[in-house]
Amino acid sequence: MLAIENLRVVYHDVISVLNGISLEVKEGEILIIIGANGAGKTTLLRSVAGMIDFYDGDIIEGDIKMEGSSIKGLDAADIMKRYGLTYVMEDRPVFWYLTIEENLGAASFSRWDKHVKTDMEEVYEYFAVLRSLRNKRAGYASGGEQQMLAIGMALMTKPKILLLDEPSLGLAPLITEELFSIIKKLNESGITIVLVEQNANAALNIGIRGYVIETGRIVLDGKAGELLENEDVREFYLGSGEKERKSYMDAKRYKRRKRWL
Amino acid sequence: MIDLIQTLGSGILVGLVYALLGLCIVIIFKASEAFNFAIGEFLILGSFLFYVLFFNESLPWHRALPLGVLIFLFFSYVLFFDIDLNFLIAVPLGIAAGLLIFCFLFFGLKLPSLITSPLIRFMIALPLGLLAAGIVGSMVERLTIKPLLGRSPISMTIVSLGLGFFLRGCIQLIWGSHSYSFFLDLPDITIEIGDLLYLSDPIWAGILSLLTFGLVIVFLFRTRWGLAIRATSEDQSKAMAFGINARFILMIVWAISALCIAVAGIMISNFGALQVGMSYVGLRAIPVVLIGGMDSIGGALVGGIIVGICEALAGSYIEPMGLVGFKEVAPYLLLLIVLFIRPYGLFGTVRIERV
Repeated sequence: MLAIENLRVVYHDVISVLNGISLEVKEGEILIIIGANGAGKTTLLRSVAGMIDFYDGDIIEGDIKMEGSSIKGLDAADIMKRYGLTYVMEDRPVFWYLTIEENLGAASFSRWDKHVKTDMEEVYEYFAVLRSLRNKRAGYASGGEQQMLAIGMALMTKPKILLLDEPSLGLAPLITEELFSIIKKLNESGITIVLVEQNANAALNIGIRGYVIETGRIVLDGKAGELLENEDVREFYLGSGEKERKSYMDAKRYKRRKRWL
Repeated sequence: MIDLIQTLGSGILVGLVYALLGLCIVIIFKASEAFNFAIGEFLILGSFLFYVLFFNESLPWHRALPLGVLIFLFFSYVLFFDIDLNFLIAVPLGIAAGLLIFCFLFFGLKLPSLITSPLIRFMIALPLGLLAAGIVGSMVERLTIKPLLGRSPISMTIVSLGLGFFLRGCIQLIWGSHSYSFFLDLPDITIEIGDLLYLSDPIWAGILSLLTFGLVIVFLFRTRWGLAIRATSEDQSKAMAFGINARFILMIVWAISALCIAVAGIMISNFGALQVGMSYVGLRAIPVVLIGGMDSIGGALVGGIIVGICEALAGSYIEPMGLVGFKEVAPYLLLLIVLFIRPYGLFGTVRIERV
């Protein structure tokens, strides 16, 4: 469905963030992308969604294809309208000074049809909390409610493929669990999902396939279950290895890093 | 006592026009966090566009033709790149628009000879003039502000400063710097109760400004487009991510702003005569928005009325004591006091803090 081929992205003409990344998203799956801070996960999503220009970044090599046709260089609004690709930015991208209902309305701006009201009801079905808060400003809602609203807003754009950038950022474990079960439900209703996460355990549990990226390259890929079992992923992203806990005497003074390639 | 009521009343009427000026600054500031210093030039430009339509002023061909070509280029550009029309449709439409503008400017609209009633003439010329002002506003945005989207708002502010000088030069080239007599001849609605006397022109100015203000608010708070504008004002990147074309929205905001400035400009010209040097009136918007709060629409209304009253009071109570010209300074003194007490203005946004 979505294919990224050897993508290289540079910020401000000098900071190279993605160094030839290639990946593929199949229709109807939940794809998990995990990686450390600064690995280029957000940059990847921004380039796919057509928003890289806004952050003064450039795609200097490679191509992004959606259903076979290139979407490189298209405007964000165009990509959304033509290909049904919606990007939910990190850190709860809701409009703080608009009410929750207005937020949902603003998100449906790109479509001109009369089904907005029924779609709104559908969103309230998924996220029951939002219904009771509909006339409250989104800025006063809690973190979990804001994240649910952000996903609800993405649903208002009628996406075929949804890119989620760290939806669990700053949320309590229970809320995260609820959120992920909703994401799974959305996937079952036919939306392809690309999920970028720091919370690797929770994400890999709902995912079908997963990629690990580091310094702008894919370093590991496989079934989500396999990644969960993988020794290195367990040590670096899940915080537990098979090995015995080391004595602090053996701990080296520099931070341990692993080179994948 | 009668004196005071008289002064307050005329202060409020002028204040409503100032409120409209403030609104233009506020909506641009909300949308792009830039201060539009070219407001004075937009003001006279809008008045001149209206003047051309209303008073049957025609231009020689060497002034009309470049404007026609400019309109053609701009329309083709917007239709082709922003609205995504086919090239073969976009270019002829652009040519049509350019030709239309050229004919208007070169031959004149001949409205005065066609329609004798000034009110009907006014009601035809006003929308057309405002439309023209809106187009000029969006054109300016396309050429100068759009390339700066995503950059620091300071650069947009500086660009608007230069834009002001550029526009003033253009206006002087096209229409010269002598003054044009400007008399709308609207129906007389002078109010006279006992010793109170309110002249017709300020009342018309107040009514039309309030009407425009109301229409803009209805547009912003009751329509889909308004919702998109408010969303974009809050955060351009978020709006883009949810499929709102932030660049197009910014252009619309500039168009609305230019249109409102034109209404204010026409009303202010109607008090006296129209000439390029009048652009300093636009700077009266600075105390208005700073007193009201840079990002508050209601603040612009209150700020405008406060400035109007302050000016009127200074004019009728302090100037007779021998301080000629104090009227012009009084709003700035008031601004100083307000900023000492409330640095964000009276109605500056209460920032949302989550607890």
